[in-house]
Amino acid sequence: MMKGLIAIFLASILTENFILNKFLGICPFLGVSKKLDTATGMSIAVTVVMVISTAVTWPIYNYILKPWNLEYLQTIVFILIIAALVQFIEIVLKKYIPSLYNALGIYLPLITTNCAVLGVAVLVIQKGQADPSFGFLQSVVNAFGSGVGFLVAMVLFAGIRERIEHNDIPKSLQGLPITLVAASLTAVSFLGFQGLVDGLLG
Amino acid sequence: MNEILTPILIVAGIGLLAGLILAIASIVMAVPKDEKAEALRGLLPGANCGACGFSGCDGYAKAMSSGEAKPGLCTVGGEAVAKTTSEYLGLDSADVTKKIALVHCLGSYDNTSDKVEYQGIETCAGAAIVAGGIASCQYGCMGIGDCMRACQYDAISICNGVARIDPARCKGCSMCVKACPKHLISFVTANQQAVVRCSNCDKGALTNKVCKIGCIGCMKCEKTCQYDAVHVVNSLASVDPSKCIGCGECVDVCPRHCITMFNPEI
Amino acid sequence: MAKTPWQEFSKGIIKENPVLRLVLGTCATLALSTSANNAIGMGLATTFVLVGSNTVISLLRNVIPDKVRIPCYITLIAGFVTIVQMLISAYSPALKDALGIFLPLIVVNCIILGRAEMFANKNKVLPSILDALGMGAGFTATLLVMGIIRELLGAGSIFGLPITAGFMDPIIIFLLPPGGFFVFGMLIALANKLATDKGAPAAELGCANCPLCGSCSQIAEKEKERAKK
Repeated sequence: MMKGLIAIFLASILTENFILNKFLGICPFLGVSKKLDTATGMSIAVTVVMVISTAVTWPIYNYILKPWNLEYLQTIVFILIIAALVQFIEIVLKKYIPSLYNALGIYLPLITTNCAVLGVAVLVIQKGQADPSFGFLQSVVNAFGSGVGFLVAMVLFAGIRERIEHNDIPKSLQGLPITLVAASLTAVSFLGFQGLVDGLLG
Repeated sequence: MNEILTPILIVAGIGLLAGLILAIASIVMAVPKDEKAEALRGLLPGANCGACGFSGCDGYAKAMSSGEAKPGLCTVGGEAVAKTTSEYLGLDSADVTKKIALVHCLGSYDNTSDKVEYQGIETCAGAAIVAGGIASCQYGCMGIGDCMRACQYDAISICNGVARIDPARCKGCSMCVKACPKHLISFVTANQQAVVRCSNCDKGALTNKVCKIGCIGCMKCEKTCQYDAVHVVNSLASVDPSKCIGCGECVDVCPRHCITMFNPEI
Repeated sequence: MAKTPWQEFSKGIIKENPVLRLVLGTCATLALSTSANNAIGMGLATTFVLVGSNTVISLLRNVIPDKVRIPCYITLIAGFVTIVQMLISAYSPALKDALGIFLPLIVVNCIILGRAEMFANKNKVLPSILDALGMGAGFTATLLVMGIIRELLGAGSIFGLPITAGFMDPIIIFLLPPGGFFVFGMLIALANKLATDKGAPAAELGCANCPLCGSCSQIAEKEKERAKK
C-alpha cells in the first residue's frame, strides 16, 4: 500500500505533472512565474487548496452525489465548494496566521478559477471510477503530489525566466512567445521521466 | 417530481450551508481594522525599502500605531514624513537621523584595472561569481552598476569604472547596500567624519600590485590619531565614527590618499 | 463608443482574439489543439456555454447584487457546462473521450468568466450575445489553426484524413505537450508582429485580463500604488 502511495506521489510530480503534461494551471504558470518568490508563494497556496478541496469534494461525491444518482451535479457542486473553501481559507488565514496571509493571501482569489484545483478534484474521481482501489487516501496523496509537481515546475521555470530576462531576444518573440518556447523545452525535459515510476516501483 | 426536487434541494442546501459557514466565519474571525495604521501607511512614501528596520511601510505603520516605534525612522521620507506622521500621532516632531550611503572603494580606471575582459550577463552579481570578481582587486568595485540600477532616486552613477553616490540625492533607503555583491556600500551618519575609501584586506605588497590607491595597512593613520578613532585590522584601516571628531590628521598623513573627509555638501 | 453589431461580433475574431490577444483560455487551447476534430469540438462546446452564460448574465445584470456576483456567475456557468456535458455524452461519446477532463473544466475557462465580468454585466442582451458569438468564433478559429498545424506536422493528417502521412514521417513531438507550447508561442509571436505593425500593444498576460479583478482587491491595490508612483 505504501509502495502504491509512493508511486502515485512520484507519478503526479514527474510523469503526470499538472503543468507540463496535463496543461492545467497554465495561467498562473505564465503569469506568476516571473520571480522566484512569487512562484513559490503561489505554488504553496495552490497545493494547500488542492489538498483541502480534494479532501472535501471526494467524500461529498461518493457519499452524497453517488448514492442519490446525482453524478451530473458534479461540476456545479465542486466549483461551489471550491469557491467557498477558498474564501474560508482566506478568512481563517487573515485571522490566525496573518504573516502567511500577507505572503500568500493575494494568490487565493486567483486560485478559485484555476483549472488545476478543479482539475485535480475531477481527476481523482475519474481515477476512482476506473479503479475501485483508488480511495480517499490515494486521492489526497495524488492531490498533494500534484501540488508538489506544480511547485517543482513553477520554481524550475521561474529560475529559467530570471535567466533569459537578460538575453537578447528578437522583438516579436519578447514577452509571452519566448516564455512559451522556454516552457516547451522544459516540457521536453520532463518527457524524459516517462516510464521512470513504473520502472522504479514495478 | 422527486427527480427534479432532490437535486435542487441538495444543491441549494450545499449553497446555503456554505454561505452560512462563510457568514459566521467572517463575523467570528473578523480582524479588526486598524484605522490608525492605515492612515499612517498612507502618509509613508511606500518604497518598502526596510531602512526603518521594519518589514516595509506596512510594518512601520503598524509599529507606529501600536506605539512600538517612533516617527522619524523613515530615511526616505525624511523630514517631511517625520513631520506629518508626528502630527498625526500628536507627538513632537522627531528628528530624522540622516543616513547617507558611501562606496568604500576609489578604484577607478586611473588607479586600477580589470583582471579579465568580461562578456557575460551585465550584472555585478554575475561578475562577482566569475573567479572572485573581474577587477584586479578582488574586494573592489567592478563598475557594472547593480547599485546604480537599484537606486530609485538616481543618486548613483558609474564614473570611470567605479560607483559614486551623490550625497545630495541619497535618501538612505539601503537598496544599494543590499545590491552590492562585494558589500562595498555602507551608511555614514555624521558630517565631517573621516572615512576609509577602501575595502582591501590583503597585505600591503599585494594591494599595491593591484591598485594605486588601496589601503596598504601601513598604520600611519592609527599612529597619528589622538582620539583612538582609527584602527588597522587585517591590513585595512577603519574609522570609528563615535570617536572621530573630524580633525583630518589621518587624511593628511595617509600616503595612499585613501582616507577622505565625508562632507554631505559635496 | 457604440459599436455596430458586426463590430461587436468581429472584434472577437481578430482584434480582441481571446487566445492570441487577450491570452485567456490558454489551458484548453494547449490541451485540445492536438487535432482539428478536437479543436472544433472544444470550440463549439465553449461557444455554446459562452452564449448561454452571456445571455443569462446580461438578462440578470440588474438583479444580481454586486458583492456576490462572482459566485453567482460561476454557478450559472457551471449550469450551462453541465448541460453541455450531458448533450455531448448523449450525442457524441467519442468527443467526450477526446475532451476528457477539459469538458467540466470549461467552467473555469477564463474566457467565459472574463467576458461575463467585463461585458455581459454592463451591456444589453443582444450585444452580449454577439460578443459571445464573436469570442467563441475567435477561440474556435485559433484552436482550429493550431489544431491543423499540430495535426499536420504531428500525424500527417487533417481532420483524420491522411495528407502527408504517405511521404513524410510525422514529427510526433508536435502532438505532445512541448509541441503545444511551441506552436502556441510561435502563433503569439506572429500575432504580436502583426499587431505591433499596426500600432497595437503586444499580448501580455497580466492583471488586466484576469477576470477576477473585481474580487481580487489586494492586487488591485498594489497596481494602484504602482500607478501612482
